[in-house]
Order: sequence, then structure tokens, then C-alpha cells
Amino acid sequence: MSAANERNGFVVFEGVSKRYQSLLALNDVSFKIQEGEIFGYIGPNGAGKTTTIKIMVGLLRSTQGTLHIGDHPMPEEKSEVYKLLGYLPQNVAFQEWRTVNHALRTFGKLSGLKKNEIEDRIEEVLELVALPDVRNKKIVELSGGMIQKLGLAQALLHNPRLLVLDEPLSGLDPESRYEVKQSIKKLGKSGTTVFFSSHILSDVQDVATKIGILNYGRIMRIGTLDELKSGFSIKHAVNVVLSHDSGRCREVKSLRGVKDVEQPASNSLLVHLDSEADVDETIHELIQSLINLGCRIRSITPVSPTLDEVYLQYIRRGENA
Amino acid sequence: MSLLLFKDELTGFYKSKVMIFLWIGLPLMAVLLHLWSPYTGEEIPFTLLSTLLVSSIGGTLAAVMLAVSIVHEKSQHVYDLFLVRPLKRWNIVISKFFAVYTCIAIASILTLIFGVAIDYFVMGGAPAAILSGAIESLAVSLSMMAVSSSAGVLIGVVAPSVLVGVILMIYGGNQISVLPMLPNMLNISNPVPFTLTLGVVTSCVLLLIAVFLFSKRQFE
Repeated sequence: MSAANERNGFVVFEGVSKRYQSLLALNDVSFKIQEGEIFGYIGPNGAGKTTTIKIMVGLLRSTQGTLHIGDHPMPEEKSEVYKLLGYLPQNVAFQEWRTVNHALRTFGKLSGLKKNEIEDRIEEVLELVALPDVRNKKIVELSGGMIQKLGLAQALLHNPRLLVLDEPLSGLDPESRYEVKQSIKKLGKSGTTVFFSSHILSDVQDVATKIGILNYGRIMRIGTLDELKSGFSIKHAVNVVLSHDSGRCREVKSLRGVKDVEQPASNSLLVHLDSEADVDETIHELIQSLINLGCRIRSITPVSPTLDEVYLQYIRRGENA
Repeated sequence: MSLLLFKDELTGFYKSKVMIFLWIGLPLMAVLLHLWSPYTGEEIPFTLLSTLLVSSIGGTLAAVMLAVSIVHEKSQHVYDLFLVRPLKRWNIVISKFFAVYTCIAIASILTLIFGVAIDYFVMGGAPAAILSGAIESLAVSLSMMAVSSSAGVLIGVVAPSVLVGVILMIYGGNQISVLPMLPNMLNISNPVPFTLTLGVVTSCVLLLIAVFLFSKRQFE
């Protein structure tokens, strides 16, 4: 059994802290990422996302705690880790005199690719990031979005087992965002472990198989989207879909425990419950009342919060803590 | 040193026209200096002018090129992509040092060859004493350029901005210009070998410090 398996994770952060003089940028951060997972790391600006990533890739040293990637402790065995790792920084930059081909060839060679593999890989990664016609262009001629895609291409060049992406979708137009998200999903399916940070929640929701929420340098919560939502799943609202409306269905507003009733469509009701109400008891009475009022119920479901709502809840908890 | 990075840096200087400006610019400046030098009744050999030019600005040029290039690339986060690859960090700065040094050394040698060639056609050749003095002077200049270049690397590594880098370099350049005078100050009978050795040793020490600091540096 490999050390990574013993630690039960391909990437294992244990009690990692980072202090810049008086500022505690990361505070006792611990998490594990399994091989093949796509881990979305979200948090507001200044939460510590980039600091976490820079510690992960060895550009910063942690003040406290340990980090293992694969079987290797970081930064002690970083040369070994760099063979497994592809990294896209937040503000990716290349020497401007290089052409795309020249830049990728250099990074390919530095990553240990053999001469005969490099040309094919350059072709493949440029195709993968939807940047096929720029191979002979100078970096200085590329747009910001193209440079971002080129950054992703260089990270993928040597088929890394772990891809670390800091805000990979920032600066991309909607079409490019879609393409890059598809690429990340494809990589995840092929077994590549992906760690990416973002403050655009819909992107995380679309791509990540696991999500970590960071605020004020602390991990607020880690889990799958469903697990994160489950903390809020009994939200104080239920959605009732009707197969027949007798015209009296909205009268349930007078029920004990019901705060308000909206009718977003002719065949549905959104029933807001009192925050103090016993949810199970109120829903039971709601069903009975609707039947008594001659309404036919097709379905009744607690309203599931969006990732935005879950995120805001955790962020506010952090602010109040 | 990584040969790949060294070749890349040279390619960079070639593509960004730095090489052309150096290799054509330095001999051209010697011509301008020759044309503008006051007539004293006796023409100053071109070889001598070329040597003076190389020794006066070669080191500063190399140091500023290195310091500005490293500070700029550091602030642009260009190195982040190199640092996350299985490559020793020192390769990055040492390759840059050798690339700039090679460029400036070739420019200096070209300038001297140009000076000798002009003297050959105009005067039928430079006087033997001037020629041997020029070669000695070039050797000393090259060793001082190595010192300036390594100081440029060190300042590039520690300076927080291009402006600070240039200020430090200009200040440091003045101190480096004292080194060739040391043999006279110390009454050393054979100054050239002493200066060459001093240049090599000082360059190595400065480069070692620069490499150490670059290796320990955190890239925020």
C-alpha cells in the first residue's frame, strides 16, 4: 500500500497555516483530495485561495503543517512532485518574445518529455484547449483569453496526474469558459486529479465533484455539492406542484406555521414556513389542508438551495465566527 | 547550467533585437566617439577608443540588462511556470547570467576587432603597444563585466522593482569600477593576472549569494 493510500488521499493538507508578519493568511487548513477528483476551491477575494495553491505547488512555504502530494512530502520532495504536477497560475505570463510553439517546447523539455513526444503533445494540448491556430504566433500577439488558454495548455503538456488551476476561467469569454470547463471535466473522467480555485460559483457547480469553501484563511466546509446543500436542505420553504387547482389552494396561508404563499405558476405553490415552525408537522398539515381544499398534489419538495445560497451562508457564518 | 535555458535566453536576446543593438551599437558608438573626439594634433587610434568604450560601458550595460530583465520577469510571474518543473532553481539565474555575459563579451570583442580593422585600413595597423594594451584591457574589461553581470543578477534577485534595481546598479557600478584600480592601490607588480583572478572570485561570490537567495525566495 502506498503512502498516499495510507494517508487516504492523493493530496493531503494537514493543519497548514501561513503567516505574513501579523496577517494569518491560512489558518490550520486541512483537506484531502482523492485521485481523479475535481476539487473546486471557492472563497471571496483575499480568503487565501492563491496562498493555498502556491503552498501546494511549492512557490510559498507554509509556516506550519504538512502537505503530501502522491507519496511525496512538499516541499522536501518537490522535484518528484513536479513530475506529477501541472500548474496554471492566476496571472499566467510568458516571455513575450517566444512563439506559442517555442514556449510549449521549452516547458515540454523541462517537464521531461522526449523530443519525439513534444510535437505531438503540443498539437494535442492546443486542440484540447481550443487554441489550434496559434502555434506559430508570438505570445505578444495573443489576447488575454488566449494567454489563459495557453497557460492551461502548458500545464497539461506532460500529462500531469495533478492539475492545479488558479482561477482558470477568469478572463475567458462564455464560449471559451464552456470549452475549458468541458476540458476539465474530460480530464477528471480520464483520472487526472484537478484542484481549481474560483469565485464564480456556477463554474464550480458545473465542474467540481467536491467543493471546499474557504474564508478568512479557514476551511468553512468541504463536501460534494449535495453534502454542502444538505446542511441547508430543510430550508423553510416547500414547492408544491398541483395537478388540479380548485381555486382555493392559496388558502393554506392561514395554516399555523405557514408564513407566506406564492404562486409562481398556475400549477405550483411556493409555501414559505415560519422559521420557528416544526417543519415535518407543518408539511403534514399542509398536505391535509390542500386535499381538504380540493387541490390535487402532484409533488411536494423542500426547496433546494443553490450553491450561491449555500456559499453565502457559510461565508456569513465565517464572518460571524 | 541548463543548456536549454541558456540557448533560450540567447534566442530571446536575438529575437528581441537586444543582440543586434549590442553587436552593431557598440562598434557604432566607437565610430561616433572617434568622429566627435577633439582633434589634438595627433589622431587617437581607433583600437584605443574601442577599448575605452568597452571598458567604460560594457559592464554597466550587462548589469542593467540582467537586473532589469530579472526584476521584470519576477514581477510578471514569468518564473512561476519554470519553478514548478523538475529543474534546480539556480539554472534560471545562471543561464541568464551566461547568456547576457556571452552577448556582451561578443559585442566587446567585435568592437575591438572593428577598431583594429579600422586602424589597419586607416593607419596601416595599430601600434604594437596599443594592440597589446588593448588586448590586456579587453581581458580586464571582460573580467570586470563578469563582476558587473553577477552584481546585476544579485540586484535582480533582491530588488523589488525595476527602478530600485537600476538605482542599485548605478550605485553598485561605481563601487565595481574601483576593482581594476586595486592593483595600483596595493602596489601589485603584475596587475593583469591579479585583476582577472579578482574578477573571477568576486563574480563567483556574488553569483553564489544570488543563487542562494533565489533558491530560498518565496514567490508570492
